[in-house]
Amino acid sequence: MRIGIALIFLGAALAADQATLDRGQKEEARDCVACHSLRLIHSQRLSRATWNKELDKMTGWGTKITDRDALLEYLVANYGDDKPAPPPAMSQDGAKH
Amino acid sequence: MSPNRRELFAALLTAGAIRAAHAADEPVIPGKRPMILHNDRPEDLETPVRYFDSYLTPIDAFFVRQHLPRPAPIDRAQYRLTVNGMVSKPQQLTLADLEKLPQHTLPAVIECTGNGRGFYSPKVPGIQWLRGAIGNAEWTGPRIADILKLAGASESAAYLETDGADTGAINTPDFIRSLPMKKALHPATLLALKMNGQPLPDIHGAPARLIVPGWDGTSSVKWVIRLSAAAQPNNGFFMNPGYRYPKYALPPGTPARPAELEVIEGMPVKSSITAPEDQAKLPLGPVTVRGFAWAGEEAIERVDVSTDGGSRWQPADLTGPKLPFAWRLWKLDWKPTQPGYYTILSRATDTAGRVQPIVSPWNPSGYLWNAIDRIGVLLERA
Repeated sequence: MRIGIALIFLGAALAADQATLDRGQKEEARDCVACHSLRLIHSQRLSRATWNKELDKMTGWGTKITDRDALLEYLVANYGDDKPAPPPAMSQDGAKH
Repeated sequence: MSPNRRELFAALLTAGAIRAAHAADEPVIPGKRPMILHNDRPEDLETPVRYFDSYLTPIDAFFVRQHLPRPAPIDRAQYRLTVNGMVSKPQQLTLADLEKLPQHTLPAVIECTGNGRGFYSPKVPGIQWLRGAIGNAEWTGPRIADILKLAGASESAAYLETDGADTGAINTPDFIRSLPMKKALHPATLLALKMNGQPLPDIHGAPARLIVPGWDGTSSVKWVIRLSAAAQPNNGFFMNPGYRYPKYALPPGTPARPAELEVIEGMPVKSSITAPEDQAKLPLGPVTVRGFAWAGEEAIERVDVSTDGGSRWQPADLTGPKLPFAWRLWKLDWKPTQPGYYTILSRATDTAGRVQPIVSPWNPSGYLWNAIDRIGVLLERA
């Protein structure tokens, strides 16, 4: 029951900022895929300061980010260091190819 | 259930269903068994510990770390290796030229500098490898020393610069590495043309890659197209600040001090537990605890194992030759008599007397994890 209530509050908090997060996700899809798949991002759990530094690094390597604030909010909300590590993804068997 | 809660639960269920559906869509990596997929473009693939059951890691299970998109496959007939810089006879060598030089074979580990990064806390950016960004293969090819002799490399050249055919998108820096000439001229430093007796596969750097035994994996440049004798080390991103380690340990979570970073060279002593798997549930009965251990440019002297969280330690049985550069497999036949949860630890000691530490020093890039390995297993009465 308590967990249910906590989820409602969590849902409300996320919903309040959903437009920003949506914009951030669009930034990610547009900006980050020229050099690598999104798995590289989604497999990490970093603090706001560390994500911010990663954005500096990628900008330095030529990534054009339009809405940096939204991208940072999206990364922190989904892949912050308070989130549990994701279960490992496995590739399919390619040994016989 | 209120409408709000119903909606929320429905949303959560949908998210779960989407994840389940996507699991079947994971990519196939040609030539590789199912691997832990950190990144599919470019490929960053970790070996699941259950594949580490042989002295030589099979090619189809060997980990992959690509910094940059893989270059287009290099045609073996068109391949040319440029040897230039401080040399009296610059060369453009074909694969046949390289095959005519004396060929040498040795087993050597390649371990990603960031293997184990996922164990560090606080978290650091980079691929969150656990135990599997490592493998032990048999490499065959000419010595770098013989190639440099052919080109008449100057004795005053202090570094060897190596360029791979991979190049970065947009402004991502090119992958270029430098080695002190002393290490480049070491008889075990090879330009490998074969891996486990097979022509080097494209994903591992065909047709020719550097093998720098005992050093971090990033030294072993793939798809080598140029070797240059030089007075100074290259100062591009992948030499500085990339792949550097703090000279003085930093408080966990604090930023790097760029002036105090040093190039990583030989790797530390390390063992990993490969069986049972962490958090396995097993029927009460005899258990074989297995793993591997290596020590960079040293050899493994012993591995000790504890099945009680570190109160008592017993020597494990080591197999395979006591060699620098290569790993040794170890095992301990454990006969627990009581059910319950057990914490199993492994600790390696090398021929130089280095011992795996309890705590691996935190560093901002998450390199060189080599803490005593630790797993938990639950033994239950059948």
